[in-house]
Amino acid sequence: MSQNGSVLIIGAGIAGMKAALMLAGASRKVHLVERLPIIGGKVIKNEESFPNMECSTCMVAPVQQAVLQNPDIETYTYSTVDRIDGGPGCFSAVIRKKARYISLVDCIGCGMCFDPCPVSLANEWEEGLMPRKAVYVPCSGSLPNVPVIDASSCLHLSGKQECSLCAESCAFEAVNLDDSDQVIEIEVGSVIIATGADTFDLSALPNLGYGILPSVYSPFEFERLFASNGPTQGEITLRGSGTVPRRIAIVHCIGRTEAGYCSSVCCMYSFKFVRFLRHKLPEAEVFNIHLDVCTPGKSYQSFFTSLDDRDTTMLFTPSIDDVRVTENGPSLTLSYPAPDGNTREIEVDMVILAAAMVPDRGLGEIAQMAGIQLDRHGFVMTVDRESGSLQTSRDGIFVAGTAEGPKDIQNTVIQAESAAGQALEAMSAAAAVNKERASGS
Amino acid sequence: MRAKVGVYICECGPNIAEKVDIDGIIAGLSEFDGFGETELVVKKYGFLCSKSGREFLEEEIRNLGLTHLVIGACSPRDHDSTFKGVCGRTDLNPYLYRIINIREHCSWVIDDVEKATEKAESYLRGGIARVLRQSELFENPIDVNPDVLVIGGGVAGMQAALSLAAEDRRVSIVERSDRLGGRALELSGLSSGTFRGSDIAAGQVESVMGNPYIDVFLNTGVSSVIGFLGNFVIELLSDEDGATTEISSGAIIAATGCAVYDPSLSGSYNYSDRDDVYNPLEISRMLSSEGGVALRSGGRPENIALVHCAGRDELNYCSGICCGVMMKTALLLKESIPGVDITEFYRDICVPPHEGRQLYESVLEAGVDLVRVESAGLSGTTVSFREKSGVEDQRSFDMVVTAPALIPSPDTADIALLLGIPLDDTGFFQEAHRMTDPSGTTTDGVFIAGTSQGPRGILDSMRFARASAGLILTRLIIGEKLVPEVAVSEILEAYCTGCGNCLEVCVYGAIYSDGSKGVSVVNEAICRGCGNCFGSCPSGALRTKHFTNTQLYREVDEALR
Repeated sequence: MSQNGSVLIIGAGIAGMKAALMLAGASRKVHLVERLPIIGGKVIKNEESFPNMECSTCMVAPVQQAVLQNPDIETYTYSTVDRIDGGPGCFSAVIRKKARYISLVDCIGCGMCFDPCPVSLANEWEEGLMPRKAVYVPCSGSLPNVPVIDASSCLHLSGKQECSLCAESCAFEAVNLDDSDQVIEIEVGSVIIATGADTFDLSALPNLGYGILPSVYSPFEFERLFASNGPTQGEITLRGSGTVPRRIAIVHCIGRTEAGYCSSVCCMYSFKFVRFLRHKLPEAEVFNIHLDVCTPGKSYQSFFTSLDDRDTTMLFTPSIDDVRVTENGPSLTLSYPAPDGNTREIEVDMVILAAAMVPDRGLGEIAQMAGIQLDRHGFVMTVDRESGSLQTSRDGIFVAGTAEGPKDIQNTVIQAESAAGQALEAMSAAAAVNKERASGS
Repeated sequence: MRAKVGVYICECGPNIAEKVDIDGIIAGLSEFDGFGETELVVKKYGFLCSKSGREFLEEEIRNLGLTHLVIGACSPRDHDSTFKGVCGRTDLNPYLYRIINIREHCSWVIDDVEKATEKAESYLRGGIARVLRQSELFENPIDVNPDVLVIGGGVAGMQAALSLAAEDRRVSIVERSDRLGGRALELSGLSSGTFRGSDIAAGQVESVMGNPYIDVFLNTGVSSVIGFLGNFVIELLSDEDGATTEISSGAIIAATGCAVYDPSLSGSYNYSDRDDVYNPLEISRMLSSEGGVALRSGGRPENIALVHCAGRDELNYCSGICCGVMMKTALLLKESIPGVDITEFYRDICVPPHEGRQLYESVLEAGVDLVRVESAGLSGTTVSFREKSGVEDQRSFDMVVTAPALIPSPDTADIALLLGIPLDDTGFFQEAHRMTDPSGTTTDGVFIAGTSQGPRGILDSMRFARASAGLILTRLIIGEKLVPEVAVSEILEAYCTGCGNCLEVCVYGAIYSDGSKGVSVVNEAICRGCGNCFGSCPSGALRTKHFTNTQLYREVDEALR
């Protein structure tokens, strides 16, 4: 059987994109499948990335552009993989391109269709902090800059009411309300799983008030609140009251006990938040309620030690599990066990919960579809670990980035390059075997 | 030959057409006589980037015999490569084309149609003036050597070699010491996950030695490196007999590993080599020796203190692997010395996610006394510490194990100098970009891997090595030529005084000094056309092709006319 040298990559975050570009650079055909309507992954939700405090979108946009413009990379946005059959060198996979209802070819991203749409609902990508229409792009600067119609909320597509205002507003006839899912079968030699991770479900810890008290925030909510391209254009104002917070607590290690590991990035993003706050709200008082300070690697601790007492007050607690957040008039009371055994209280008006990185909530389904095993934490399990391999339990399928476990951007990129390299290595070894067989030796 | 410039303005649907009076610009440019003999063809089109738009352009270039092409459309970030591709499908040299951004710079940001039109027209005039000063440039593909040199024979270096070596790609490993295996080989008592470091390293050594496509040079250093991606020439110097060997390779991986901090350098650790104070490597060695773990006086220790974070404050970084190593050491000591009391003084637990809580819980189960401290110091084998509650205390032990940080290996700086790559403020190799290009360096063709870039564990080092190896697999493709940057710098010998300013500012090491002529010379295979040198040249000898003074001045003059 002839060996196929192309690669299927699932997930177009920083790991999937870097792996795709690398393989395309080696003249390999790459099929890059992303379930969201846009590529870029979670990194572009961050205004700035630690430790260099570089603008994340500026760092990632050239990578996104390079992916979209590369003739060897076929990008399938708003798509999923339904099936992977076969084995190394000869996989066949089925990609489902969900109906987008907007032509990727004809739409120029002018956005004229948004205003006429009568539907308004919470924008998930913006963590529900702003509304979107049924026809929408997840965020400003979306790539590809082509909207999608969310069939479940669209009046026409959900059958609630006859409406074609978006189609009427489009000067390019790019709206096609009769669009349907497309199923595409492809042949590839290797597969890379780069589906990323999620953050711990904060509603599981009612003692912290998330979802009940509006001034308690998840890390990505805070990222979007700070983002200059976000719901408030970067103004830090409280949900509900619209006031500017003056006393802010960041609580570390949320979900560490439940997840059973330390994610090793939450301390760093918490300290990044301190820098954000110092920059935007220089008068605000910031508290870090913390247990272990975990800043591994050559450039992280100095990021922490560059903060001083004016930036934040570090409050150690031996038990994060016993932290409580309760309503106290217009503000919040946060109580925590102090090292001396007593319970202390501070009054704050905003709480940010530094949640652990946990397996993507869709990973179980993907693992089942791909026939690969997960580890005890629910991340993708690798085999042959003693060789630094990123091979999953199914031969020819590799994993990269946070799908394999919590990690920072640098190590995500290293893994992406490593997985792409391993896929190449495997395919050239297979090709060499083929050559030998063909020559009859 | 009389120049014939095709100027094509994209309507971009309503995006440009609604805010810029395109017909007015066509009329204005057609009447404009500022370009002398040059003939202008000015037309508009709905979407130039569409398939029909590209085909239209190709036909125009061919049928009208255009000598230059100017596109008035969107940002070059969107479609520069699209129109370069159009040129590529015709006989028009792509360096005789220019895209002018009249969307982001004009129609999208100026509400007033008259002002937007005026600005767009002046931009286009500037573009025409510039394109007339542009010259044809040609790609010059070069042959590449697919072989690779790996500096360092530890787990990272060996893994890189094993990933790369093949029938059509030889790999050379240069190792300073008298054996392969690096530090991992010393970790016979300590495991990484469920594996012993020494077993991993020993397995690799066997594979390397048995691989016919890998050459190993022991007791050998690197004495000189010249060349560029695809063609390096490296001189190796034997430490044994001073003999030199010249090898060539297309890429280099620096996997020079790390060293271990000496805790006695820290002001708070006071002990001498008569005291029973050890690091985990030494404990590992004792554990696998016949005598097992013993005191200097002979006899078994009854109580042992493990003190974390040696060097963390002094170096201002956390190595990220020591907590795990210390917990494993505690478990191994418990196992090998029945009844021993172990107290572990730690500041923060920093264990990689994969290890999870299991390690921590097994340490607790084994009866290790974990004491969280604010700080801890040594006086011999007496530990003084301050708890989080502020309470200060001290306790004496038979033996103390410290957790020294990982630091750059002593020859990191020398290797960096030879390879022309920078170190960062911690003394480890600096990446090309900390996040988006961590395996690359500022010298194209030189990659880094393992602990030479920063502290990390064995498995992560091997994954890192596979990343660098993978990048080389995508850059040095067997049977394919490399196409170096075309818009590079050049030095006009007649004007060059040989002052060397340009050598100082070139981050790619692309400029060298020709002593015999007293001038500086650009190696075009290395130059990336960044233009740093251009600004540094006091005598006007330097030019960056495609960005010459004449081109830029003419564009600005015409735009401001």
